[in-house]
Amino acid sequence: MTTAGRADQPDQPDQPDQPDQPDQADQPDQCSYTLSVNGQEHELRGAWMGESLLYVLRNRLGLPGAKNACEQGECGSCSVLVDGELVCSCLVLAATAGGREIVTVEGLGAGERFTDVQVAFTETGAVQCGFCTPGLIVTVHDLLERNPRPSELEIREAISGNLCRCTGYGRILEAVETVRDARLAAASRAAPVAAGATRQEGAG
Amino acid sequence: MTATQAAPGGVLGQRLLRKEDPALLTGEAQFVADLNVPGALHAVIVRSPVAHARILSVDVSPAMSVPGVVAAFTGKDLEGEWAGPLPCAWPVTPDMKSPAHLPLATDKVCYAGDGVAVVLATSEYAARDGGDAVAVEYDPLPAVVDLDDARSDRVVIHDELGTNTSYVWELTPDQAAVDAAFADAAHTVHGHYVQQRLIPSAIEPRGVLVIPQPFNGEYTLYSATQIPHILKVMLALTVGVPETAIRVIAPAVGGGFGSKLNVYAEEALALALARKMRRPIRWIETRSEATQATIQGRGQIQDIELAADAEGRITAVRVKLLADMGAYLQLVTPGVPLLGAFLYSGVYDVPVYSFSCTSVFTNMTPTDAYRGAGRPEATYAIERVIEDLARAVGVDSAEIRRRNFIKAEQFPYSSAAGLVYDSGAYEQALDRALELSGMDGLRAEQARRRESGDRVQLGIGISSYMEMCGLAPSRVLASLNYTAGGWEAATVRLLPTGKVQVVTGTSPHGQGHETSWSMIVADRLGVGPEDVEVLHSDTAIAPYGLDTYGSRSLSVGGVAVAIATDRVIAKAKAIAAHQLEIAEEDLEFRDGAFTAKGTPERSMPLGAVAFEAFTAHNLPDGLEPNLEASSHFDPPNFTFPFGTHVCVVEVDTETGLVSLRSYTAVDDCGVQVNPLIVEGQVHGGITQGVAQALFEEAVYDEDGNPKTTTLMDYLVPAASELPSYVTDSTVTPSPTNLLGVKGIGEAGTIGSAPAVINAICDALAPLGIHDMAMPATPERVWRSISEARGEEAKGS
Amino acid sequence: MSYDCAVSVRVPDSLEELVTGLAADPGCELLAGGTDLMVEINFGRRRPASIMSLSRVTELKGWSEDAATGELVLGGALTYTEMLQPDLAGRLPALAQAARTVGSPQIRNAGTLGGNLATASPAGDTLPVLVALDAVVVVESADGRREVPVGDFVTGAKRTALRPHDVVHSVRVPTRRTRQEFLKVGTRNAMVIAVCSAAVVVDLDSCSVRVALGSVGPVPLRAHEAEELAGEVLDWDAGGVLAGDAHRDGALERFAGLVSAASRPIDDHRSTAAYRRHAVGVCARRALERVAA
Repeated sequence: MTTAGRADQPDQPDQPDQPDQPDQADQPDQCSYTLSVNGQEHELRGAWMGESLLYVLRNRLGLPGAKNACEQGECGSCSVLVDGELVCSCLVLAATAGGREIVTVEGLGAGERFTDVQVAFTETGAVQCGFCTPGLIVTVHDLLERNPRPSELEIREAISGNLCRCTGYGRILEAVETVRDARLAAASRAAPVAAGATRQEGAG
Repeated sequence: MTATQAAPGGVLGQRLLRKEDPALLTGEAQFVADLNVPGALHAVIVRSPVAHARILSVDVSPAMSVPGVVAAFTGKDLEGEWAGPLPCAWPVTPDMKSPAHLPLATDKVCYAGDGVAVVLATSEYAARDGGDAVAVEYDPLPAVVDLDDARSDRVVIHDELGTNTSYVWELTPDQAAVDAAFADAAHTVHGHYVQQRLIPSAIEPRGVLVIPQPFNGEYTLYSATQIPHILKVMLALTVGVPETAIRVIAPAVGGGFGSKLNVYAEEALALALARKMRRPIRWIETRSEATQATIQGRGQIQDIELAADAEGRITAVRVKLLADMGAYLQLVTPGVPLLGAFLYSGVYDVPVYSFSCTSVFTNMTPTDAYRGAGRPEATYAIERVIEDLARAVGVDSAEIRRRNFIKAEQFPYSSAAGLVYDSGAYEQALDRALELSGMDGLRAEQARRRESGDRVQLGIGISSYMEMCGLAPSRVLASLNYTAGGWEAATVRLLPTGKVQVVTGTSPHGQGHETSWSMIVADRLGVGPEDVEVLHSDTAIAPYGLDTYGSRSLSVGGVAVAIATDRVIAKAKAIAAHQLEIAEEDLEFRDGAFTAKGTPERSMPLGAVAFEAFTAHNLPDGLEPNLEASSHFDPPNFTFPFGTHVCVVEVDTETGLVSLRSYTAVDDCGVQVNPLIVEGQVHGGITQGVAQALFEEAVYDEDGNPKTTTLMDYLVPAASELPSYVTDSTVTPSPTNLLGVKGIGEAGTIGSAPAVINAICDALAPLGIHDMAMPATPERVWRSISEARGEEAKGS
Repeated sequence: MSYDCAVSVRVPDSLEELVTGLAADPGCELLAGGTDLMVEINFGRRRPASIMSLSRVTELKGWSEDAATGELVLGGALTYTEMLQPDLAGRLPALAQAARTVGSPQIRNAGTLGGNLATASPAGDTLPVLVALDAVVVVESADGRREVPVGDFVTGAKRTALRPHDVVHSVRVPTRRTRQEFLKVGTRNAMVIAVCSAAVVVDLDSCSVRVALGSVGPVPLRAHEAEELAGEVLDWDAGGVLAGDAHRDGALERFAGLVSAASRPIDDHRSTAAYRRHAVGVCARRALERVAA
C-alpha cells in the first residue's frame, strides 16, 4: 500500500516546493508524495491532499502550461498525459499520481524547441487567443501517437474534449492533417517498401 | 481559397505567421491566473443564489474560523470604499434610468450571482471554503425574467427608479413617410424574433491581480480585460485612486468577445481590497461564476415589418425592439441595441426607416456587448423576414435579395437611417457564395428527398449581411450620447540599431495585432516584420488608447499605426535630404532607403537615418533628435464589411436533430493585411453565430435561477458538431482610410445565425414551417414538426 | 465541509488491501476516474476525510472471459476507452456504442464502468446496455463477494445496492449469441448528457429481444411489452431479422409506441418529458431496425 499521509493545513501553497528537502514520505502524518513530471521527480510536502494535479502543476511546480478553464473536465484546457493516457489534470487527485509518469505541454518535444504539432499550429493559423492551445497540443500529440492516420471525423472526435472559442476548429483541423500527412510521408520515405500502402495519405 | 492582394515586394496581404504563437503554443505566455505573487490573498466572492431578495443579514464570522482565511467583508463593510458606482458609459437618452450599482450589494440582490461578500485567504481552496461558510439571510422577492412582465412594472426591481423601463430610444426620420409606405404597400410582412441570451464563454475565465505599493500609494492591476485604458480611468473614478497611481496591464488574455469589455465589480473590489489590506489581491473566476457574474449577450425581442411593392422591392422597414438590460447597466449595456438600430435595412436599398427600442431591467445577469453587439440581432431580423417577403412575392431567396440590394454603383450610399456606407459589392458576394455552395446540385437533392419522404430533409439557407464597425467617429458617438471618443493612438519610433518600436492603444486578446501592426509598419518602412516590436496593453507603456472591441482595431488602430509610420518617414526624409545634401522633393523612399531620383548611388538606408537621428550630430537646423511620431486617429466614418453565407442543413424529422452539412462564406473586409488572420476570424465568427442558432442559450427558470451554469449545460460547440467551412473573399477597399481596410472580427457572427435558421426553415417549408426559434434544439424542431403535422406533442 | 479537514489518501495495491481498508473506514470515498468526486472536491462541495484510489488495484482492471461459464467479466475499473478497443467492442458492440457517446477522449480514459454503476445517474450511458445484456454486478467487500443483477443494483436515481464498505468488483455478462445496438439522443454530438437512450439486444439463444431505456426514469427501464412485440415480429428461423411484412403493418411504429409508453420521463432544463418519451421510442425503433434489418 502506498500511503500519502495527512496534511492538516497547507502553509503558503503558492510557494514552490523545494525538491532538495529530506525525504519524509514514510511518516504517515506528514503530507508528502512524489510526482514524476516531464521526467523530473518532485517531492511535494505541506500540500493539502485534496489538491488536483492541475493545481499542483500550476501552483506548486511552476508549470502553467495546463490551463484552468472549468475544473470539471469539460473544456480540456488542462489536458496532460498520465502514464501515456490523455486526461484532464483537474480530475486527477495529485496525491494518487505518485509513481506515474506525467507529461505536460512543457515536456513535449524532447529538447526540440517546438514539436511538429506546434509548428503546424502556427503555420495553419490554428492559434488565436492561445488559452486552449497547450491542452490541444497535448491532445493532438496523443491522437497521432495512437492513430497515425486519423480521418477528418476521427480528428474532430479526438479533439472534441478541447473547447476552443476563437477558431471554430477549422484551422486546428488543418494543422492536425498537416502533421498527419508529413509524418506519413516521412515514414514512407524511411520505409520505401511500405510506401505503396500509404501513398494516398502521405501524398500531401 | 482566399484572394490575396499582391502588394509587389511588400508584406501586406501575405500569410505571415503570427509572432504571438511561440509563447502561446508552449504554455509560456502568462495569463492572469499564471501570475504568482508571493503573499497574495485569494479572493472569493459570495454570490446570491436567488434572483431577487432583500438582504436581511450577512454574517462573515464563520469564514474567519476557516484556516487560511485572513479577512472577510460584507457589502456594507466596504460601502465607504467607493468613490462612485460601477460605471455605465452610455446614457443613451437624457432621461435614461440607471440604478446605483456597487461592487457588492448592500440591501438587495437583483440577480443570481450578485455579490454580497468577499473572503480573502492564503489559498484558493481556503478562500472557497471560507466563502461557503459565510451565512446570508435573504427575504426573497418575486423575480422578473420575462421582458413583457418587466415592462408591466408588476414588480419594480429598483425601487428608487419607480419603473423597470430604463429608456425608450427612437429613430424615425419621417413618420409620415413610414405610414404612407405601409398604407401603399402591395406586400407587408412581419417577423417576431427572440434573441436568446448568450453566455460569451471565453475559454479563459476572467481574473484580476492587484499589486499595491503601499508606501507610495501606487497600484499595478493585471486584468483579463479587453480595455486596460478605459479600465484605468473608470477604476480611478469608482475606487477613488488617482488615475496617476494606477497602472493597468492586460497580460495574455484568453479571448473576450465583448465579455472583457467592461468594468467589473471584481476589478474594483481587488483594487479597493489591495488598498485596504496593503497586500496583493488575486481573484480568478470559476467557470460557473462566468455563467452568472460575467455579462451576457443578446436578450432582445424583435418585431420587424417590411412594406414592399408588387415586385418585392422594399419601400419601408419598421422595427420595434424590447431589450433586456438585466439587473444593472454595465459599461455599455444600454448602447448595444443602438449599435444595431441603424442596420435593420441590411444590405437593401430601403427609402423609409423607423426604429424604436424600449429597454427594461430584469432579475438576470446584466447584458452587454457580445461579439457583434446589436448587429447580429439586426441582421438576423432582416435576413429572416426577407424570406417571408420572398414567399409573399413568389420568388426565391436569392432573387428577392438581388431585387433589393444596394448596387455597387450606389456607393457611398446614404441610408434612410442616416449612415453613409463606404463601399460594397453585395451581388458579387452572393454570386460567388452560390457558386461555391453548389446550389444546383443541392436543390436537386432536396427535391429527391422531398419526393421520397426521406426522414432526413435537406435545407439551404442564405444570409447576406453588412455591418458597421470600426468604432467609431467620435462625433457620431457624441450624437449617440456615448461618453468617450472613438479614436485610437499609435506611436512609431526607430531605435538606434534600426529596429522599430510600435506602441499601440489597441489591446489584443487573440487577434494578432503584434503581427498585423508589424506588417503595416514593415510594409511602409521597407524593413522586415521581425524588426518591428509592438508594445501594447500596459498603460505605463501605452498611455493613450481606447482598446479593442467593435472590430475597430485595424481600421482605427492599425490606420493610426500607418499614419504615425508615414510621419516618421517624413521626418527621416528631412534628415536624409540634409545628410545627402539634396532637396527633399528630389528624394524618393523605396525599399527601406532614401534615394536620389535618377541617381540611385546617392542613397541612405533608413537604419542609417535612424542612427543619425539618434546621435543628433548632424541634423537640419531646428529639427529635434530621434525618429518618433504619433498619431491619434479619429476615423471619419465606420467601415462596412459585408458578405453572403450559404448554410446547408440536414434535419432529422423524427428526432428534430439538425446537422450542418456544409457552410460556405464569402466575406469582404476590404484590403486584407494578413489573410491567415482574416480566415481565423471568419471561421471563429461563423462558429459563434452557428452556436446561437443551434446550441446556446442562457436558460433561467421562472424564479430567475440560472440553469446553464456549466459547459455541460451551456453548449459551446465542440469540433465534432461542425463541418469544415468553405470560405472565400472579395476585396472592395474602404475609401475612408488609407489602408482600405474594414473590420472582420464580428462579421462571421453577424452573418451566420440567419443562414442556419433559414436553412432549417427551408428544409421544413413543405410542412408549412417558416420560423424556428433559436437555439433550434432537437426538441424545438420536433415540436414544430409535430404541430405542423397536427400531431399532439403529448405532455407527461 | 471545512478546509481544516485533513484528507488521508490511500492507493491500495490489491483488492484485499482495498476491502480491508474500506471495512476499517467505511466513510472513505472511493476514487476511480475522478469525473464526479474531483469536481465536488474542486468546488468545495465535498471535503472527504479519506479517499482510496482504485488506480492500482489490478484485480479491478481490464476484462476477461470466464473459462468455466464463458461469461465476459468486466473489471470495475474498466475504462470507457477500453470498452472501445476492438477485442471487447467486437463482443459487446452496444457497450462500445455507449462508451463512444460518453464525454470526450479525456473523460473516456478516466471514467470507469464501476464508477458509472456506483454513481447510478439516470443518464449513465452504460446502464441501459448492461440491463439489456442481463448483466450481473459482482460486489466485493470484507464480508465476501455477492452478485446483484444490474436491474436490482440500481435502486433509484443515484442510489444503488452498494453498502458503504462495498466496491464494484466486476460485471458479468452472459455469453449468448446476440445482436446489439445502443442509440442516444443528445443536444450535440460530443460531451453531452443523454436526453434519452435505448439499448436493444436481440438474443438468438433465447429467441427474445431485450430493450432497456436510459434517461427516461430514475433507473434504467425495461420495455417489456415492446420486447414481446419485437419477439413476435422477428423471424427467428431466418436468424432474428425483421419479417418482410413488419414495415408494412406498422409493427415498428407500434414497437416505438410501446417503448414510449414504458418510459417514465420527467421535465428538466435539458428536455421535456414529452420529447423524451417520443425520442426514446425513435431511438429504440432505429436500434431494432439496425440489429434486425
